[in-house]
Amino acid sequence: MSEPLVTLRDVVKRYDDFTAVKRMNLEIGAGEFVAIMGPSGCGKTTTLRMLAGLEAPTEGEVVIDGRVMNDVPVHERDTPLVWQSLALFPFLNARENVEFGLKMRAVAPGARRKKALEWLDRLGIAEFAERNVETLSGGQRQRVALARSLITEPRLLLLDEPLSALDAHLVIRMQGVLTRLQRELGITFVHVTHSQSEAFAMADRVVIMSRGEIAQVGAPRDIYRAPANRFVAEFVGRNNIIAGTVAPVGPGFGLLRVDTPLGPFDVVADDAPRPPGEAAVFVVGADRVEIGREPRPGAVPCTLISEEFIGSVVTLFLEAPDGTELKVQAQERALAALDAGSGGAFHLSWSPQEAHLLPPGA
Amino acid sequence: MASDPKSRLDLYALSFRLPILVWQALFFVGPLAFMLAMSFFDVKNYRMVETFELKAWERMLTRGYVWDSYFLTLGRAALAALVASLVAFPAAWLLAFRASETQRRWAIFLLVIPFFTSYLVRTFSWLVILAESGVVNAGLGAFGLGPYTMLNTGFGTLVGYLTLVLPLVLILQTVTLAHIDPRLPAAARNLGCPPGRVIWEVVLPLAKTGLVVAALFAFILSFGDFVAPYYLGGSKPPTLPILIIDTTKSGQQWPRAAVVAVMMMLTLFAIAFASIAFAYRKRASK
Repeated sequence: MSEPLVTLRDVVKRYDDFTAVKRMNLEIGAGEFVAIMGPSGCGKTTTLRMLAGLEAPTEGEVVIDGRVMNDVPVHERDTPLVWQSLALFPFLNARENVEFGLKMRAVAPGARRKKALEWLDRLGIAEFAERNVETLSGGQRQRVALARSLITEPRLLLLDEPLSALDAHLVIRMQGVLTRLQRELGITFVHVTHSQSEAFAMADRVVIMSRGEIAQVGAPRDIYRAPANRFVAEFVGRNNIIAGTVAPVGPGFGLLRVDTPLGPFDVVADDAPRPPGEAAVFVVGADRVEIGREPRPGAVPCTLISEEFIGSVVTLFLEAPDGTELKVQAQERALAALDAGSGGAFHLSWSPQEAHLLPPGA
Repeated sequence: MASDPKSRLDLYALSFRLPILVWQALFFVGPLAFMLAMSFFDVKNYRMVETFELKAWERMLTRGYVWDSYFLTLGRAALAALVASLVAFPAAWLLAFRASETQRRWAIFLLVIPFFTSYLVRTFSWLVILAESGVVNAGLGAFGLGPYTMLNTGFGTLVGYLTLVLPLVLILQTVTLAHIDPRLPAAARNLGCPPGRVIWEVVLPLAKTGLVVAALFAFILSFGDFVAPYYLGGSKPPTLPILIIDTTKSGQQWPRAAVVAVMMMLTLFAIAFASIAFAYRKRASK
């Protein structure tokens, strides 16, 4: 990464008896699209509000563009935020809302009006410029909020779950709008969301937070395939998390054997020292599990508990003889051949390359 | 089906509404109509004669002192509404945006307490405070200032009006401001608006309805108030409520008093209507 645009250095945010953010360190490069993701109360929104200056860090430094921002008041920062509630001004029409930031910068009425109309046009809502914002649809209001934040051409745009109130089909469309804008403008986006699909679809890098701490930072693909710990493995995607102990005798060839209640499995070894008998946890993505009707060597016999159909992809929830729940995700077409509805036994297996070992103690 | 349930239900509902309608007709619309009629009566040998003449109207509308009194009352009530709104606003702002929920509840409770005591009693207590040898002048005297005449002046009247309206205006403003979504002022600051300007750009437009209604209440109460201009303002020059009393006392001129009362009613109707229209005006959507 070249010179980072944003640096969080040992940032702590404490409220009276609650620590929202615990000693956070993060660098965000110029032009990067970063998603901060995590469950409710993980500190993601607090982090975003500290970047905007709406909250002051209790400890540590927030550096933006080489300048320590801790004591810079909100209105002197150029860090517009797209609010979850959008926070459009109901007493102004769409164009006047968009103009607001330029008005604060004392841009002449004619010039800011022209600029606002350009932005509304760019976001495809020029025809609604003079409309009362309360009469606009959710998607249109979203675009007004975006235009209002971008009109000052900031280097950093903050987004606080702005898509959470939209219908599913609009979310997909707005994701496209956001990624396109981000690429065209070269602005750094910091997008807070609890939605994995949103984060993975748009971000260059995803920051996963849990209880005020960063659980993992990485490209969406890396986080999906190689979760750094159990929290990330559970939070991200549909993963089978299987715990066991390191077997006394390994298979060699860079593989590690793990004895589990489901039987012994070989997984690709990592660099960590793995003495026999030590606990080992590995993760297998539900989409990497092979499922069949015929018994195979090393396959786990299971019975079907339920299935979740979301269109072309189906997730099957199965139970192993010891009660472990295993998930299999596959194309609906592929599963049709298995005749899942008729009951009976299934056999699950995966290749060692698909099993990802979690670091010891994670 | 034995009977139409709809007509039965209407009778049932009417039996509850009828007393209220009768009450309104008897004690509100009736007296109002009578007052309007009375403004066209005549007085002969100190007795009211029920006729239809414009004498009282002609007399009152052509006298300069009536119009002086009218504009004096209008101006002082407007001043009271303005001063009350301006004085209350910083306090309301603190209560709405800086105080905790609990503090705000207590403040509103405390602001209701003045209404426990008769307004007349509260006004009388000002006599002790504002008199030539009163508390304020004694305090100022310690610094070699004064004494200042505060009773029987426009200032005294204003103090009385504020005694009446300030707690109410403060409560209405506080409730209005407390209902503002705090994210909107924050969004304005986030877009580069300095804190002081946020009040002008965001808080006032959002609170417009409540602020106008609060000021309207202050105006209406002050406009019709007899106590403050009489006891603290010295009744000279007279405001319209004092003019009504004076007119009825001298020569049983009830029709002339009725003219003044009708003038006041019409003024209040016009101002209330205009204020509410302004308060609730939404921007037109093109």
